[in-house]
Amino acid sequence: MRSRCALSWILILCSAASLAARASDWPHWRGPQRNGISSETGWVSTWPDDPPIAWRAEVGLGLSSVVVSSNRLCTVGHVEDNDVIHCFEADTGKQLWTHAYRADLGDKYFQGGTTGSPTWEGGRVYWISRWGDVFCLKGDDGQVVWKRNLREDFAARVPTWGFSGAPLVHGDLLLLNVGDAGVALRKDTGRTVWQSENKDSGYSTPLPVRFGSDNNPGPWLALIASRQSYVAVRIADGKEVWRIRWLTQYDVNAADPVVLGNQVFISTGYGKGGALYDVGSGEPRELWKSKALRTQMNTAVLYEGHLYGVDGDTTEKASLKCLEFSSGKEKWSQPDFGSGGVTIADGRLIALNGSGELLIGPASPTGFETTTRAQIVGGQCWTAPVLAKGIIYCRNTDGALAAVNVRKSK
Amino acid sequence: MNRRGFLRATAVMAAGTGFVGPVIRGAERTRKYRVALLGSGWWGKNILTEAIASGECKVAALADVDASALEITSDRVQELSGDKPKTYGDYRELLEKEKPDIVIVAAPDHWHALMTIDALKAGAHVYLEKPTGHTVNESIAILRTARATGKTVQVGLHRRVAPHHLEAIEFLRSNAIGKVGMVRLFAHSGGGIEQPSMNEEPPADLDWNFWCGPAPLRPFNKRIHPGGWRQYLDFANGILGDWGVHWLDQVLWWSEETHPRQVYCTGGRAVRGPAVLNEKEQTTDAPDHQVATFAFEQFTCVWEHRQFAGNATEKHNIGAYFYGEKGVLHLGWRDGWTFYPSAKSGKVVHQDARLQEPDGHSISLLWSDFLAALNSERPPTANIEVAHRASLLPLLGMISWRVQRSIAWDAGSEQIPHDAEANRLLSRPYRAPWKYPAA
Repeated sequence: MRSRCALSWILILCSAASLAARASDWPHWRGPQRNGISSETGWVSTWPDDPPIAWRAEVGLGLSSVVVSSNRLCTVGHVEDNDVIHCFEADTGKQLWTHAYRADLGDKYFQGGTTGSPTWEGGRVYWISRWGDVFCLKGDDGQVVWKRNLREDFAARVPTWGFSGAPLVHGDLLLLNVGDAGVALRKDTGRTVWQSENKDSGYSTPLPVRFGSDNNPGPWLALIASRQSYVAVRIADGKEVWRIRWLTQYDVNAADPVVLGNQVFISTGYGKGGALYDVGSGEPRELWKSKALRTQMNTAVLYEGHLYGVDGDTTEKASLKCLEFSSGKEKWSQPDFGSGGVTIADGRLIALNGSGELLIGPASPTGFETTTRAQIVGGQCWTAPVLAKGIIYCRNTDGALAAVNVRKSK
Repeated sequence: MNRRGFLRATAVMAAGTGFVGPVIRGAERTRKYRVALLGSGWWGKNILTEAIASGECKVAALADVDASALEITSDRVQELSGDKPKTYGDYRELLEKEKPDIVIVAAPDHWHALMTIDALKAGAHVYLEKPTGHTVNESIAILRTARATGKTVQVGLHRRVAPHHLEAIEFLRSNAIGKVGMVRLFAHSGGGIEQPSMNEEPPADLDWNFWCGPAPLRPFNKRIHPGGWRQYLDFANGILGDWGVHWLDQVLWWSEETHPRQVYCTGGRAVRGPAVLNEKEQTTDAPDHQVATFAFEQFTCVWEHRQFAGNATEKHNIGAYFYGEKGVLHLGWRDGWTFYPSAKSGKVVHQDARLQEPDGHSISLLWSDFLAALNSERPPTANIEVAHRASLLPLLGMISWRVQRSIAWDAGSEQIPHDAEANRLLSRPYRAPWKYPAA
């Protein structure tokens, strides 16, 4: 009886999927579930000719990802002494508004430009620049709701490459990776609610999580990369819950933690590698440690028990790899991928390699068999691709942005 | 228990029972060189990795005034060798307590002389990063101390042993490009106007006062440490004092010349803008471009670098052009070497580089050469005599740039003839309590 029920559910789900592909926004860094996975189904990744480009734009120098909400796309780039926040109509590329402010290029050891990503929430755009300018803009016209500069307001220490995490909106709060373990502002006014010690931050985006069991969940925590550790703090009041000491060369703790249940995976580059921790008891306990996946910038994506991500630094030719989450065992490695990034949707890896090629194929621990390989933006790509409402967005460091239409033709 | 905890526990047990490690490895270890690293950042770690890989060295201790750098490098040593090195904030304490056989000096340039001389006097052989000194008389003091102690010094001029460099020098010496009348050396990159960045309190795990050491104490700024100090003249000599040493050394190697007759250097901060240093903020202060002419008996050598505009008009961004009767030889970095013949019927000759990546060097070969020298008591390839002469060229270039006129060099008296102002720049004042080494 039970198995027949399950079977009928599968049939219903299958037929629903075949009738209507599921579409989804990508309103903030790493997508709707903050895990690099889109729930979109029914999109196509093989074309008779060249990939169909819906539109292209130049958004300025930087690594900022795109975020999409209600057919509006937002991203940021550096153009002639300014950072420019752009808003486009997502499906056509029609420019809706821009907002510019003076900013340093910040080209220390790389080309410079913007490194973080904006966040959509409640029809507003939130953004923090590398140098501590925080903006809340109206999504309709880009008008400033409020703005402040944290370096001027409380002499916030700026890490070597500047603030790079995206803002996290949680309830009424706006969390930023600023200081030793984050800062929380009121999202409506920008007023400070709590702040951590004024020490150098890391470069990750605060990740909201709840540990514990389904029956007895713990409080909402934010996992934040600090200069020399990964820290869990209570979102409500900033109180520190635990801290994993994590030293990386040049203090580049950049990739976000990856969470499954009560397990937290941390990985950084510069030869450091990764480790899996159990945090169920409150104090992190190391389960395994490995050099096989050293994620310098983009976070690995966890899908069906396996991590898919980029191993290595920009100074070498990084590899795309798959690791078993429970053991850290390497399943496969594709060399010469470069410092690009991956997203997963509908069981497929959407990978943009370091030189602007889009590679698509099933996400499988047995290997990466690409069904699609197409040059999209060229140049140097350190930004993970984004899938939203049937369009894959690819961006290179120089600021070439391309929208690849993967909608099923009607 | 994790691995580190296990090692700590083992060490405690070993201390308690009065022996310091598994007996079975004792015999093997006594044959190994005990190595210490002074300056435990990125480059020091690269050198140390090769020392471990040689199988003939055991890392005894690390020193750095940056506690995080110490911890990262110490972890790396444990991963590679299983040994847990002792760590020190003060390198003098390390030298006194550890009595290492080999000391690697990989701290910034302003520390080279004091650390190397102290290490030699403590009885160690030294692997020193280039350039030998930050000023000329420091380099002379190192040279004299090396001669007096009889200890061996290898300097990190890894291009002296790199396969494609050896081939190119052989090609040049075979007369394949004919008589060479001019050499142009260059290092170009992109860049633009420099905005000052905010000073701040040094992080708690960094002893900034000690980091500055004999150099002036200036406000801490992340652009300096880690990694940016080469662009600050208190601590180094910009691009000329970095890349310049490598390429000028190639010219001495190829020509077997010892020093130039005359040196003239101009340059400035035309694009980056004026240097800023105040309580609130600062910029770098090294020139963003320089052209230096080194007049030798048989040929002219020109150095040029710029940190703007890149070099899209030429095939290469970095290296040396040897201009001969029969054509141009480019000796480069990752692009190997290429001979472009003058005759239309001539054939282009090319050899790829063979380097250790990701950082594109040949330290493994240079370290082997160092150990071979120690084991056979022959001088190493990039020995202190060779490296002193190579380091002298950019340092003289910097003096000419500062006094804004051409200078000569008298190798016998180690003076700049008839130029008191330039001679004063052969040394510089040290900040107390540090004392400039006596030559």
